[in-house]
Amino acid sequence: MNSGMSKGINSAWKLGNHAFESRLLIGTGKFSSVEIMVAAVRASGAQLVTVALRRFNRERPSDDLYGPLSGLPGVTIVPNTSGARNAEEAVRAALLGRELSGSPFVKLEIHPNPHHLMPDPIETFEAARELVKEGFLVLPYMPADPVLAKRLEEIGCAAVMPLGSAIGSGHGLRTREMLEIIIRDSNVPVIVDAGLRSPSEASLAMEMGCEAVLVNSAIAAADNPPAMAAAFAMAVRAGYAAREAGLMSKSDNAVPTSPLTAFLKEETP
Amino acid sequence: MRLTVNGEPHNHTGDKTIEALLKEIGADPRRVVVMINGDVVCREARASVRLEDGDIVEVLAFAGGG
Repeated sequence: MNSGMSKGINSAWKLGNHAFESRLLIGTGKFSSVEIMVAAVRASGAQLVTVALRRFNRERPSDDLYGPLSGLPGVTIVPNTSGARNAEEAVRAALLGRELSGSPFVKLEIHPNPHHLMPDPIETFEAARELVKEGFLVLPYMPADPVLAKRLEEIGCAAVMPLGSAIGSGHGLRTREMLEIIIRDSNVPVIVDAGLRSPSEASLAMEMGCEAVLVNSAIAAADNPPAMAAAFAMAVRAGYAAREAGLMSKSDNAVPTSPLTAFLKEETP
Repeated sequence: MRLTVNGEPHNHTGDKTIEALLKEIGADPRRVVVMINGDVVCREARASVRLEDGDIVEVLAFAGGG
């Protein structure tokens, strides 16, 4: 930055015309109870929270997250399209999610293979094109592919969400090289989604230039999910603040931080 | 009237509205979204839609998801 001034750690970012302070998005899957999930969302400070659609089941009323989440101030629900195996199913899931939530956002995810859960790039692209036409702010979960990221940007997606590693794997930023290219070339926010295990990985993603990160398993599967949510929130802020502060350049040689004048040596006249 | 509701056979006895069906299965109408034969029923249309014998109905709610 020319001014040498940081924008500050609370600088807002945007999806479409919607501005957000928090750069940590939270998923609500795999929590042991609704109460713990709500406590984690609160602790995270997240303003965007993903949910899935499931068949209503009167035997399991605790499955219904609409009530608990709509009671949280400042939280916008982002319905996902999980379960969709192709573009047609994803578009239908998105329409259902919008009807129920009233949210303009959809996390588009189409991963037909339950073993690796890798997103289908072709169906994702087709669904994204349709959903943009339907007026959604589309957040596509995608392989860390710079070409696909550009194509999704060009058809009007509000962000791109490349994976760090497989969903729920905890393998962190395995796709780092591709993420760096995507970040460098993208004109829409890049949100790393999937694979993060530790707050340090979230920090790194932010330092690399991501606009935000989406975390679910790492928080839900922690011994203390609200505490882990708070840790991720701090890490995301730290990573963003570090990026804004400007990281020093690397050197192949050591560069001393203290003067090397040899005053301890005996001077030989 | 025989319906399929969330994949299960369902004998519906009340009036033919969606509200009646939701009440029958114990769903809070504000917290579910309904699809009939693959078509999303928007809120505005909910009151006017009439169920028909053989309809395949999906009643969906938000659950945890990443």
